[in-house]
Amino acid sequence: MKRLKSIAAYVFLVIAALISIYPFFWMVVSMTNRSVDVTGGRQLPGTYLMENLNNLFGQVDMVTALGNSTLVAVISTLLTMLLTSLAGYGFHVYRSRRKDIVFNVLLLSMMIPFAAIMIPLYRLFGRISQVAPWIGIDTLAAAFLPTLTTAFFIFFFRQNTGMFPEELIEASRLDGLSETGIFFRIYIPTMKTTYAAAAIIAFMNSWNNFLWPLIVLQSPAKKTVPLLISNLGSSYAPDYGMIMSAITIATLPTVFVFFLMQKHFVAGMTGSVKG
Amino acid sequence: MKKRLFIAILLLTMLLPACSGKKTETNADAGSAKGDGAGTGAGTTVTAWAWDPNFNIRALELAEEAYKGEIAVNLEIVENAQSDIVQRLNTALSSGTPKGLPNIVLIEDYRAQSFLKSYPDAFYPLTGHIDADDFANYKIEATSHDGEVYGLPFDTGVTGLYVRVDYLEAAGLTVGDMTNVTWQEYIAIGKQVKEATGKQMLSLNPNDFNFVRMMVQSAGQWYFEEDGSTPNLEHNEALKEIFRVYKAMLDADIVKLNSDWSQFVAAFNSGDVATVPTGNWITPSVKAEASQAGQWRVVSLPRLQTEGGLNVSNLGGSSWYVLNQDGKEAAAAFLADTFGSNVDFYNTLLADVGAIGTYKPGIAGDAFDQSDDFFGGQKIYSDFTSWMADIPAVNYGIHTYAIDDILKVEMQKYLKGEDLDTVMASAQAQAEMQLR
Repeated sequence: MKRLKSIAAYVFLVIAALISIYPFFWMVVSMTNRSVDVTGGRQLPGTYLMENLNNLFGQVDMVTALGNSTLVAVISTLLTMLLTSLAGYGFHVYRSRRKDIVFNVLLLSMMIPFAAIMIPLYRLFGRISQVAPWIGIDTLAAAFLPTLTTAFFIFFFRQNTGMFPEELIEASRLDGLSETGIFFRIYIPTMKTTYAAAAIIAFMNSWNNFLWPLIVLQSPAKKTVPLLISNLGSSYAPDYGMIMSAITIATLPTVFVFFLMQKHFVAGMTGSVKG
Repeated sequence: MKKRLFIAILLLTMLLPACSGKKTETNADAGSAKGDGAGTGAGTTVTAWAWDPNFNIRALELAEEAYKGEIAVNLEIVENAQSDIVQRLNTALSSGTPKGLPNIVLIEDYRAQSFLKSYPDAFYPLTGHIDADDFANYKIEATSHDGEVYGLPFDTGVTGLYVRVDYLEAAGLTVGDMTNVTWQEYIAIGKQVKEATGKQMLSLNPNDFNFVRMMVQSAGQWYFEEDGSTPNLEHNEALKEIFRVYKAMLDADIVKLNSDWSQFVAAFNSGDVATVPTGNWITPSVKAEASQAGQWRVVSLPRLQTEGGLNVSNLGGSSWYVLNQDGKEAAAAFLADTFGSNVDFYNTLLADVGAIGTYKPGIAGDAFDQSDDFFGGQKIYSDFTSWMADIPAVNYGIHTYAIDDILKVEMQKYLKGEDLDTVMASAQAQAEMQLR
């Protein structure tokens, strides 16, 4: 009976796995087919991989877009983690009733959809452009500045700081470490796993971000990968083989970052923080 | 320790400008500087946004080559998806921050009125730069607002019915039997073809109202009264007839349903359907399947059996607009000298890009008289241009796509058996509520 149950479970899981992996399979297969074959629903690998890649790198500036996306994603991930973990740490460690009110207001900001603040934000960046053109409209900095400190990550770090033993802070203070020293030398190394989880999410958010970069980045040299892919599908006769190649390439970094961080992620789950 | 934090923050602030990279040289001097004529490439920089590298973008590149105006122009073409252009224009114009907007922008005709009405001062009138009478009548209607022409009409979406000769012959029919028919006759032929070949007659996407828009205009009607804002659905006889035809086609089982563009293209590339009623811009996609060469012909679109029902219509198409900011004179001069008056340029456009313009003097050249072996030697372009002259002019109004969304739901109700007048009344009520 027990065995029968586990067989059923495996069958179910295998089917679920196949269903979820199928779109990826089709994406990779379509990368090797002509556009006509892709629209025709061909499921087998073809021989047009090189042609699709040549078209992609020949017709559009994929290299620049990848460079822009990487630059934006890496810098914004690093800054996001530094700023939001400082805030989350502060809200938890130096807790007071007033700070809790501020924190609750901050949480409320999660309820506001981005589309609602988009136009005022664009206006703001229009003004910024006049005094500080290097971070104004049509700069890569403008693409990630508004998304650096989100309530979600501050909340995430504040909650996880609960796992951080207060005794460590007290011990460090007794030993004469300054408050910033405690954060950088005790807190960050201890909370590695939390940072890893946050980094995966922050990187994915930034890598896949579309709407705001679309509005704020205008010149072709500033395009990020999602913007470039959006363009590829815009013609009256789209080249699906080429589009699938671009999408496959665009997926790789996220996969890479996930597997890179997964080790820490898993380590965090098995409990590395000792009381 | 504090020192280290200070250094870290200092480093970060230095990083910020670094990622802004080298900017400004691109659009810093857009406009103002009058071209000095003699200089090569030292003229006014004019930025243009458009979509589709093989069509609109290519057309701009050809225009740049053909341009011989007095003001030296440095054209900078930026490729953007159409939806992305709409999003950017809306954000920038509604926030009153024109920075970064181009000088020339391509806008689809269905959306033009909403831009012209919502941002009245954002666009630069071209009335003095072009002669409106030179362009297809229906295009001028779409690009004008308050008596001024704001858009320079570009490509036509003149429609045709692409048909498979071999399938017709298998059913004992000829191309002549498909010419100048009504939709009822079309359905009858569809049944015959289905019986003889097992193939469906056409492919439709219930979630894409291209088909409905195309048919509405063929009767000289639209979703709105002539003012472009009062919904005209409940008593719109053409629209009701379209609903009936749509249902009749589904009942006759001659429709292969698709759910997106790639399936739509696949339906005719794989030979699953016998006809494709749509805009002429589908030609390259039809020709993409080279193995079907010689099997296709293009005939006029079937007509609706209502008052004013014609065998011609339009589907899509777009026009060039100049934004009312520095550099507008150069941009307008550039457009007027190329798309607005150059006859040879339109020949090149057709030969090179396959784009049929709407500039009447420009559509009579040699390129339009070429026969196409893929279509069995038919002179498809001269056919398309002759139909174009008869396209009824309608006011596309400002909410075409919003009405589309309402009608899609009502269409499904009708197909499930609700009364036609009831669903149209419901659509009318919703439209009046939403678009007040």
